[in-house]
Amino acid sequence: MSHAHSPGDGGEHPAAPMVEEITDFEVLEIAVRELAIEHGLFSADDHRRFTEWAESIGPAAGSRLVAKAWTDPAFKARVMEDAVKACKEIGIDWAEPTGFGTPSDYMNLRVLEDTPTLHHVIVCTLCSCYPRPLLGMSPEWYRTTNYRRRLVRWPRQVLAEFGLILPPEVEVRVEDSNQKCRFMVLPVRPEGTENWSEEQLAQIVTRDCMIGVALPRPGRTADVHPVHKARRPVQGPAHSPEAANEHKK
Amino acid sequence: MPRNKAEKPRRTAGKARFNVGDRVRVKDLPNLFYSRTQMYVRGIVGTIAAYTYQDVIPEDEAFNRDGRLEQYYIVRFRQKDLWPEYPFDNDTVQTESPERWLEPADN
Amino acid sequence: MSTKSEVASGRIALLDSIRDDQKTWNVLAPRYGVTNPDPPWKTSLVAMCDCLAASGALPALERRRAEDELVDSVYRDVPTPERQLLALVHVMLRQGLVTERELASRMSAVRSRLESA
Repeated sequence: MSHAHSPGDGGEHPAAPMVEEITDFEVLEIAVRELAIEHGLFSADDHRRFTEWAESIGPAAGSRLVAKAWTDPAFKARVMEDAVKACKEIGIDWAEPTGFGTPSDYMNLRVLEDTPTLHHVIVCTLCSCYPRPLLGMSPEWYRTTNYRRRLVRWPRQVLAEFGLILPPEVEVRVEDSNQKCRFMVLPVRPEGTENWSEEQLAQIVTRDCMIGVALPRPGRTADVHPVHKARRPVQGPAHSPEAANEHKK
Repeated sequence: MPRNKAEKPRRTAGKARFNVGDRVRVKDLPNLFYSRTQMYVRGIVGTIAAYTYQDVIPEDEAFNRDGRLEQYYIVRFRQKDLWPEYPFDNDTVQTESPERWLEPADN
Repeated sequence: MSTKSEVASGRIALLDSIRDDQKTWNVLAPRYGVTNPDPPWKTSLVAMCDCLAASGALPALERRRAEDELVDSVYRDVPTPERQLLALVHVMLRQGLVTERELASRMSAVRSRLESA
């Protein structure tokens, strides 16, 4: 049934609102899943395990890792030496849920450390690989061909659209995760956060900061950017590098 | 499946051909199916930035698959070498590549 | 040159019949005052994609290539995550992993089951 998660508190609060209808989308998902299991494409057990895993992940883990790295230089060194092993210290096991990772995330995390003269940003031009154990599900814009094609070609334009403009002398390094390594950005700790606790620091390390399309700063606790419609028309010339060059002719 | 560093590898590929800092060129090999070596780096010279792991060639490049492990690398390219008239001197791109897609670049 | 996906981007009648821009989560959730950004079946869909890749029935790169083509053409106007669901099923149908007939039949059975619950 489609419904929001209600607090399990014995009904002392009004029930959370629910979507009171059964859509064909919901029905389709169940139907194709049942058929897939019956045809032996995968087992019900595996599906249950992967569903539970998908429900368990989110960007809070990455935020914790960054905040701890900022406050504990020895931990940061361990992160840079073996990031998968260091993740266990913050409760994230890249081996889940199979014992050898997922068929998309694997077990080869590399953390990209920013400096004042080096800024990283991640992409997967081939599909949209993403460090899900630390950041959860990828945002919709990260999956689009719009982002994937343009970031490697015009990184500064794309970052500017997210509101991030960097001086020309800073090296913008795009990391394309085209094989089994997965990447996450460790941003530079911003000024104005001296003596902050790990919890306070984690609050300003948002998902966009760990992808590299935003910089953390005091007071910035959410990723908000202009809503790009889910279906940006690809036929429009405004977003192709070829068209960009056309203007220059 | 690449192994966690803590585990003993089933077998090794032997000495990696390239060292960090080596200049390498990405080959433009034909591929029958989907390739993980992007078109935008084919024929371009970059620098070995890091070792990652040893693994077999991915299933989707199964045409010449011999089951042996080989070294994978992070390779770094200057944006100015990838795109005509890229305006920022310092910008770079990094991608990951198995050894068989790389050859030494003579400077 | 990598070959273009062999999954044709032609339309599939059953999936076209499911499309309803008044029934996608981005429309329904605000209508009912639900704040969850995703429908409850999204994690199940994600799990299905992982399982299909893990078993080898539908590798991730192949699925994503087909999804890219389909969401840029047939399902361009469908929002996330419904577009991912339709694209996945479209690929599975084209590859014969399931058939349109059995899927239609199973959908009827599932709906009856849910509505009588």
